[in-house]
Amino acid sequence: MIKKSSLCLILCLASAGALHAAGKSAKAAQAAVPAINGFSASDMPYDAGGAALLRWPVNAADTETTVYTVYASSSDGAGWVRIDEFPSSANTGKGIDLPFWAWDGSAAEHAYKAELGNFFPGAAEGTVLRFKVASSDKGRVTAESLPAEAAVSGNWFRLDRLNNLLLLVLVMVVFFWAVSHAKRKGLFIRRIAGLDAIDEAIGRATEMGKPIYYVPGIGSMSSISTIASAFILGEVSKKVAQYDSFIKIPHYDPIVMTVAKEVVKQSYMEAGRPDSYREDLNFFVSQDQFSYAASVDGMIAREKPAACFFMGYFMAESLLLAEVGATSGAIQIAGTDVEHQLPFFFTACDYTLIGEELYAAGAYLSKEPMLMSALKVQDFGKLVVMVSVLLGIVLLALGTKLHWDSFTQVILNLFKAY
Amino acid sequence: MTEPWMIAGAWLAAGLTIFLFSFLYRDNPFFKIAEHLYLGAGMGWWFQVYMFNIWKPKVWEPLMAHQWGVIIPAVLGLSLVTQFIPKISWLSRYGFTFLMGYGAGLAVPAGLSTDFMNQIAGTIRPFSALASMTPFAIFNSLLIALGVVCVLFYFFFSVEHKGSVKKVSNVGIYFLMVYFGAAFGNTVMARFSLLYGRFDDLASFSSRGSFYATQIILAVMVLYFLVTGFTKKPQQGEEEAH
Repeated sequence: MIKKSSLCLILCLASAGALHAAGKSAKAAQAAVPAINGFSASDMPYDAGGAALLRWPVNAADTETTVYTVYASSSDGAGWVRIDEFPSSANTGKGIDLPFWAWDGSAAEHAYKAELGNFFPGAAEGTVLRFKVASSDKGRVTAESLPAEAAVSGNWFRLDRLNNLLLLVLVMVVFFWAVSHAKRKGLFIRRIAGLDAIDEAIGRATEMGKPIYYVPGIGSMSSISTIASAFILGEVSKKVAQYDSFIKIPHYDPIVMTVAKEVVKQSYMEAGRPDSYREDLNFFVSQDQFSYAASVDGMIAREKPAACFFMGYFMAESLLLAEVGATSGAIQIAGTDVEHQLPFFFTACDYTLIGEELYAAGAYLSKEPMLMSALKVQDFGKLVVMVSVLLGIVLLALGTKLHWDSFTQVILNLFKAY
Repeated sequence: MTEPWMIAGAWLAAGLTIFLFSFLYRDNPFFKIAEHLYLGAGMGWWFQVYMFNIWKPKVWEPLMAHQWGVIIPAVLGLSLVTQFIPKISWLSRYGFTFLMGYGAGLAVPAGLSTDFMNQIAGTIRPFSALASMTPFAIFNSLLIALGVVCVLFYFFFSVEHKGSVKKVSNVGIYFLMVYFGAAFGNTVMARFSLLYGRFDDLASFSSRGSFYATQIILAVMVLYFLVTGFTKKPQQGEEEAH
């Protein structure tokens, strides 16, 4: 009995000794890995949150086979999660996708944007996370940084979009100048053929005693083409009221319908014909694209209107609508800024307003100083694009030819979108 | 043995497809049935989508979880419905004002970024790699830049299009036409694939297992058009329109 107990004791002591020795050697091996000095972690500047910026100096001893592995961990003592692995030649300070006025990166340091959304889903704004980076060569860890902490959060002001803000301010200044100029001296707009045909279409409907269909498309009220369509509807319905003709406006979107109701009502009042206005001129059909198209097609085929207007945002229903209008013998005027639907309007309509012409239509018809000014600002924008493209090409070609890398980067950053 | 509900489904699908296609010939009661059914089904579908994808997860469930913040957008949304009650319809203006402001706020910076910055950057960026570009790539990039400038000239409303401006804008029109032609062909091909899909279904519904749904419905439709074609007098409006 005593013999057995002694044997157990000896075995226990021996195994404990072996474990202690193994722990010691592991610690010694860890301590032998050199540290990556200068490693820092911070919140990624000018972002919507969920990313951290890790920086550490480039090690001159790194070879082509050296690989960096980035780890992150929540600060509650949870284990390390491997975020990414990349070769030592990647992710230098020059690689951060921020313009020169928001970031001054150097090729002498590594700068890595750690996207953390997938690794720490549901992490609250301002959550503090720990990061470390380790370098390895052919599977053997050659260096490792000490952990660094950073609170990850979104930024209210995006300095990287400063160029967009400045352009917006410039556009606003030009707009106010144009408004003032339009009120004092008036502004010139060139002739737009499709819009001159509106009078002809309404006149034809009046002579034939048939209705006019105005289809505002399937866009919501936040769509620019729908807003433009509302302006055109105002002018069309004013003329309809003056000629004592009859207009029908089938709607896809209830909000657009409510706005259109106000627009038509106002137009009838301005034309001095409030008695002719009826609430059911605007009516809701469906908010399902093809059932809307089928229903409007049915109405057009049965009522055979004298004129059809298709103005606004259209998708696949464009040809379905325009084709039925064409076969019913109506004079058709269409306009949309959806480029890939324009060919269908070309084939089936008498006149088509292409893209920007739709935006210009409201100003062209009403001659309102405010709308005219908006049109002038659009023209100013086009001028900016044309001049920038021409100048940009010359400067970039020059910069590339003379190897002015920083200069070409500045030019590209100036036109950086988001 | 085909399941009865599969046969019923085949007859319904074949019938609705042929009813809708019958409009290509002329308006008829079968098309009207399909049209109104489509309209009703579409409305019903969207009602449940709004109910279960928007109202329930974005209003009802947050309210049940005592997240009172959702009351503000919910009230703004409900204000739109006051349009139907003339006495308090003025309330809807608050909802509309918010919608318009939100829409403009969202559209203006996004438009500036995509229509201005992206357009310029996308056109000039290839020239930053001029040294490594082939002559064809340089020609291609210059062609795109020329297209951008000429098309923009066409949409320039502040000057009369005559003289050299007219020439440049005419070149822009050629660029536009090339694009529209490509877009037309691309979309038509996509539409044809949809058409093939319907024809494929009609072909499969013409089998014995579907009790020859396609043939029988087609025959009934043709018979209807023949009978009405011989018996119905053309209406005055139809004659005028054609």
